Amino acid sequence: MRETTATRVAPARAGSRRRRVVGGRDLAAYLFVLPLTAIFALFYLWPAVSTILSSFFSWGLLQPWRLTEPDSWDFVGLGNYQDALSDPDFWSAAVNTAIWLVVFPALVTGFALLVSILIWYAGRGAGLYRSVFILPMTISLTAAGVIWSFIYNPDPSIGLLNAVTGLLGLGDTHLWLSDLGSIHVGGIELRLVNLSLVVAAFWAFAGFGVITFTAGLASVSQELVEAARVDGARVSQIVRYVLLPALRRPLIVVVVVSVIFALRVFDIVFVMTQGGPVQDTMVLALLLWQDAFAFLDTPSAGLAAAIAVLLSATLVLGAYPYLRQLTRSGSRR
Amino acid sequence: MIPNRGKAIALYGGLTGLAVVWLVPVATVTMISVLPLDQSRAGWWNADLGELTYRNFVNAWHQGVSSYIVNSLVITLLSVGLTVTVGALASYAFARLHFRFRRLTYFLLITTMIVPVQIILIPLLPWFQTLGLAHGGRQYLGIALVHTAFGAGWAVFMMSSFIADIPDELFEAARVDGATHMQLFRRIAVPLALPGIVSFAIIDLIFVWNDLLLALTLLERDHQPITVGLANLQSPHLAQEDVVSAGAILAILPPLLLFALLNRYYVRGLFAGGVKG
Repeated sequence: MRETTATRVAPARAGSRRRRVVGGRDLAAYLFVLPLTAIFALFYLWPAVSTILSSFFSWGLLQPWRLTEPDSWDFVGLGNYQDALSDPDFWSAAVNTAIWLVVFPALVTGFALLVSILIWYAGRGAGLYRSVFILPMTISLTAAGVIWSFIYNPDPSIGLLNAVTGLLGLGDTHLWLSDLGSIHVGGIELRLVNLSLVVAAFWAFAGFGVITFTAGLASVSQELVEAARVDGARVSQIVRYVLLPALRRPLIVVVVVSVIFALRVFDIVFVMTQGGPVQDTMVLALLLWQDAFAFLDTPSAGLAAAIAVLLSATLVLGAYPYLRQLTRSGSRR
Repeated sequence: MIPNRGKAIALYGGLTGLAVVWLVPVATVTMISVLPLDQSRAGWWNADLGELTYRNFVNAWHQGVSSYIVNSLVITLLSVGLTVTVGALASYAFARLHFRFRRLTYFLLITTMIVPVQIILIPLLPWFQTLGLAHGGRQYLGIALVHTAFGAGWAVFMMSSFIADIPDELFEAARVDGATHMQLFRRIAVPLALPGIVSFAIIDLIFVWNDLLLALTLLERDHQPITVGLANLQSPHLAQEDVVSAGAILAILPPLLLFALLNRYYVRGLFAGGVKG
């Protein structure tokens, strides 16, 4: 509103004019954003900048790096980054994180797509079904990890999954959380035990996809689908030519958000396996946490900071188009 | 909508089957929590329902779960109260006012939705010591401030979109009558964007209640919430499924009840994130 008025009054000088018109309001705007931005600067921006700066120093939490205390500076340049990238544990965790990155979004998106379309077709009872699939989203990943540890218990009289596979004649001695074997792809060993953790997280998170796709499908006109059906369109054609086009944006959102989830995953691995056995289920977010906090007397917080910077940079660069879009949709007004 | 009877049966059969499978983990933890250990050890699906007990909850409560729950409540209410208050104020400015570095600030806020918490976590403990937030009751304030900072992106993203949806005419009319921005905020923006604010508050409540990483890293043992408590109890060597499952149920119930009561707001909030995001 404001902007159109300004443009109409003086199209040629809209920019400078707007700034002057708004000048009187500036003070109020700053007062409104001040509390949030102060907290944001002190407890997000500064710690993030500290992480980046401290990644060029060698330090541990018992002798913390502080910007204001040059005595605490043990400058190592890119040493932490070199150490991280030449550490086999880093690459093993990177491979496991890559498994998450591929399998988790695929599971979430595929399942949520299927369920949302079924719910959309059902019409009656849609709210109830939707609630069932959303329900695990309210459960913490910590509790989800506890629950799935019960299900994966290797003893078939305690663990439901081995009881079921035993009943189906598939054997009842699977070690779901310690050893499921591995497959080799291009010389890289992919440990299947990671999939057990992915499934648990998928159960806890798929509701997000269901909500998002249901929102997208709400815009599809029932008359259009009815007309297509009367004209002899098959269900597969309706899904392909009517429903999926309506889900283009929601699809992007679900894939991006679940990719972010997969790269940040920590809680469920921490609770279910602590990254073990050995390093078989270690992911980057947990590896760096252990570097910084599990062994306080070793000065590897700088190394942890370097991994955190690498992980965050990957996320921000990879999600940059999405970030730009969020910023634009938020500043439109 | 449904073409014919056979397909209808297949549709509802398929959906119901998936829904039942989806609820199995919930049934698992519920059953283990209400059975004596020797019963659940023999397979909860074989259990004698005459043996149901609430003892596990009593035991869990006395093994520290009570104080974990109290800590969770304090941390969650403090964090959400702070985030909603400062977030709503800032959202008003982002939705209605112009100021310098608005886009840059917004961009930086939004990055919290993308980066891992670990990017701020490592220097945070020394920083808390510098600020005097590392010990005693001040830890609650410290973690609430971090939750506010890290939730700021979601807060402004959601609440400013709801405030921006309010028709301009309402604000203009009140301005002509000489209302200040604080009056516009309190009498127009907050009441009319209330459904959006409630949606955000619920999502934030569930998010903070369920946080493990920040609490695990920043808080001393006697200030830790139930998520950390569960992770402590969970050690596989302890073999105390009865207590752990009861603790898990107690951790799950508050957000679940909130979801059951205010389902509409929760879904609407995530809807907004999905469609507009």
